Amino acid sequence: MATQARMRLLVGGGASVVLAALALWVPVEPRFPPAWQSPAQAAERAERDLPALGLLWGKVRGWSRVGTGWTVLWQPSHGMWLVSAWVPDGPAEIRWRIDAAPWLPGVRLSRAAAEVLLGPSGGVEQARERLGRRDWQVGESRLLGALPAGGELPSAGLLRRPVVLAVLVGLLLAGAVSRHLVPGVPGRGWRYSVVSVVLLLFATLPELPALAPMTFQPGVRPWVAELAFGTAAVLLLGALMYAGQRFPATAGSSPVALLPLALAVGALAGRFEPAIWLVNVAGLTLRLPVLVGLAVLAGWLAGIAGSGLRELLRFSAFARVVGLSLLGVAGVGFGGAWTGVTLAVVSAAAVERGWGTWMGMGVVWGWFFGSLWVVARWETALWDALVFVLLGCGVVAVAHLAREHRSAKSESPASP
Amino acid sequence: MFRVRYALQVLVAAASLVVAMDLVKGRGVPGEVQAGALARAALVRLGYEPLGEPTATFEGDQELAWALERARPGPAGVRLARGQGGAVRWRVVFPGGGEAQVTVDGVIWSLRRPVPSAPGPALFPSMARSRVETAVAEAIPDPSAWGLVRAQGWREGGHIWQRGWYVGGAGELPSGWRRELELEMVGSTVVSWRRTVHPLGTDLGVVTGRMAELQLLRRPALLGLGILVIGVFVAAAESVAYRESTAITRGVAYGLVTAVAGSFASDTLVAAPIQGVVAAVVVALLPVWTGLPRTRLRFGPAAGVALAAVTLAGRAYILGAGGWTPVTPPVPGDISPIRLLADSWAPALVEEPLLRGALPALAAPIVGWWGAALLAAPVGVLLHPLPTVPLAASFALELVLQVGLAVVARFAGVGGAVLARGTCEALVRRASYPVGSDWERVALIGVILGAVLLLWPRRRG
Repeated sequence: MATQARMRLLVGGGASVVLAALALWVPVEPRFPPAWQSPAQAAERAERDLPALGLLWGKVRGWSRVGTGWTVLWQPSHGMWLVSAWVPDGPAEIRWRIDAAPWLPGVRLSRAAAEVLLGPSGGVEQARERLGRRDWQVGESRLLGALPAGGELPSAGLLRRPVVLAVLVGLLLAGAVSRHLVPGVPGRGWRYSVVSVVLLLFATLPELPALAPMTFQPGVRPWVAELAFGTAAVLLLGALMYAGQRFPATAGSSPVALLPLALAVGALAGRFEPAIWLVNVAGLTLRLPVLVGLAVLAGWLAGIAGSGLRELLRFSAFARVVGLSLLGVAGVGFGGAWTGVTLAVVSAAAVERGWGTWMGMGVVWGWFFGSLWVVARWETALWDALVFVLLGCGVVAVAHLAREHRSAKSESPASP
Repeated sequence: MFRVRYALQVLVAAASLVVAMDLVKGRGVPGEVQAGALARAALVRLGYEPLGEPTATFEGDQELAWALERARPGPAGVRLARGQGGAVRWRVVFPGGGEAQVTVDGVIWSLRRPVPSAPGPALFPSMARSRVETAVAEAIPDPSAWGLVRAQGWREGGHIWQRGWYVGGAGELPSGWRRELELEMVGSTVVSWRRTVHPLGTDLGVVTGRMAELQLLRRPALLGLGILVIGVFVAAAESVAYRESTAITRGVAYGLVTAVAGSFASDTLVAAPIQGVVAAVVVALLPVWTGLPRTRLRFGPAAGVALAAVTLAGRAYILGAGGWTPVTPPVPGDISPIRLLADSWAPALVEEPLLRGALPALAAPIVGWWGAALLAAPVGVLLHPLPTVPLAASFALELVLQVGLAVVARFAGVGGAVLARGTCEALVRRASYPVGSDWERVALIGVILGAVLLLWPRRRG
């Protein structure tokens, strides 16, 4: 029995490697320009190449990938201003901007900053300080420090798909209700997994505000912004932990034969339509635990939505085939950044209940890997992407072997 | 035993009425009646006799008032906000023409009379100056500290108009602030003047920075409520599927009241109809959540009076301990009894069923009732705090209120918590509205209701 299990696992593992290689080998035109440097490298370059502007920049507070570069944000601890810079991957010019608190007309720019703004021809003739308004008087005109200084930075385009999102949220709610109305045997392992990854994400919380640079605002001290983000994250993770107990995945063996396929489908989806936000996650120091935590939670949620879809289409076999096919095609055609999630939900709904969460997680795992492979092209991120996918395969293998071992023990005749 | 209990209820009703009367007595924005007389006298000094009874509207500059209080701690700051700082004032408009702004402490802040048909001969700027300076001397307490910084003249409608800008340094205001006066004259008649105050950026920044921070911190609380609403809707779907007994009529009625209150309130969490729907679903589901404490409405308002007293005492304590919290109450956008009623009761109607009803009902199986109630407290804390220095003092004060409401909900149920919160809010918010018995009656509605419920004869057993 154990030998059969090992053989199945070996075949499954081999299939995973072959399919993952195939998914990486399929020629795909990248939809987003890949990032060739990490945000930390971009920040270092900006600090090295930009004039200091006579301002205290403070610590790097966050970053986001915009076009072919990184927008990095600095803020001093008093929070009175934000310095942001868009650092392109190539040798192009770095663009920067200073935003000061609206209540601070007294943010008088330094002479160096004023000279940068006025260009080489203009000189700061007179530093005239007035009550609460410390401006530079330049001939007839006045340079107000409180106005946004520097240029406009490029902004990321919106990737919203409201219809897809609404369908996914509806399926999630249907799945939550269906897990109560059509109860199965709750999987203890899944419950532990959700709790464990939530605790893991709690541990990485101090790093996570960097992923939400919009939280930092001029005039708001950064610790308050971090507190706001942390509170929101704690509430969200707490709710997920609660939901993990209340709507647990159904127990079931891992579908070793199907998981390689799910991984490959996910990886291919990630290469076609990468989750662009993952490149921001890849910029974290603790990227691996964060990726694992997010993938487990996303896979489990895909399992819940899949349960909802399965129950909604249960009334006829024909409807099930047509519904799943339509949603799959719609997800690939119109899903945009949600393609991977849509495919994970369809995969979870297409198999039996005990396998749903496994399949959802397999697709999400592959989708994360494929996305990272396409968009985060600096060395450490690529290595961590490989470790991420191997870690997932390893955990599945261990879970499968442990289950087979348990079932073999329970089937063996009781010792006298 | 029954008689003893009833006697205790009478005692509680009397005590809550007395304390509530004490809390609202003498509080409120003064000066409405005097503002009309002062404005009339000032216009007469400008040579214009206004006709008819004026209408007075309350207006204020929230940030300016709080910045003055922050820059000059203690009663001096409050005096400045209500007087020479010009942050809280009445706008007085006479039906036959003529308008003035008078601070609540009686300082004329601006004045405008109708342009006379014969404004007198046009004056050369040099001759006009002495006349203007006479008018300035009447407008401000320390004319020697003021100086003309800019003047402008033009011809319009057959008359010469002249305008001058005076700057008066900081005066009584905190160091670094600046006072300005703009005065207009037609022919040889002064027709208007207006004072303004320019705060020091850093003084204003402490207040507006705190307000921006609290606004940011409100977002996670709204997210928490959003998550809770998702849980409520999943529970509603389950109760429909299991055909559980729900209070649909009561829920719809409650939702309508909530939506109406929200539509009159100045600040709501989301659009009033959405609030109404959510509140309706929660109240309809209350019978399903059998683990919640039984509602005893009559104790709610008395608890609300106690919570209001604690809140006001907490603010005084922060000031006494060297911190800062606003003394001038938040300036409402519109002054009307219905606004006071809605602003006080809308948060109670929406938030209490969610925080003291839905959250404990959903989370109690895992963390217990008290655990769930303590989970609700941080969400409630972030919804409506006032800016303080240090910021943590504001959260501590709100936390006391939230824990108090959790205790009320434990012993008087969700309904009791709604009445307690509404009563407390009405008593605390009373200070933002003008003095007068009409406003006091509106603020005391919850207390009176509580007293009636406590004194209502109940059957033995």
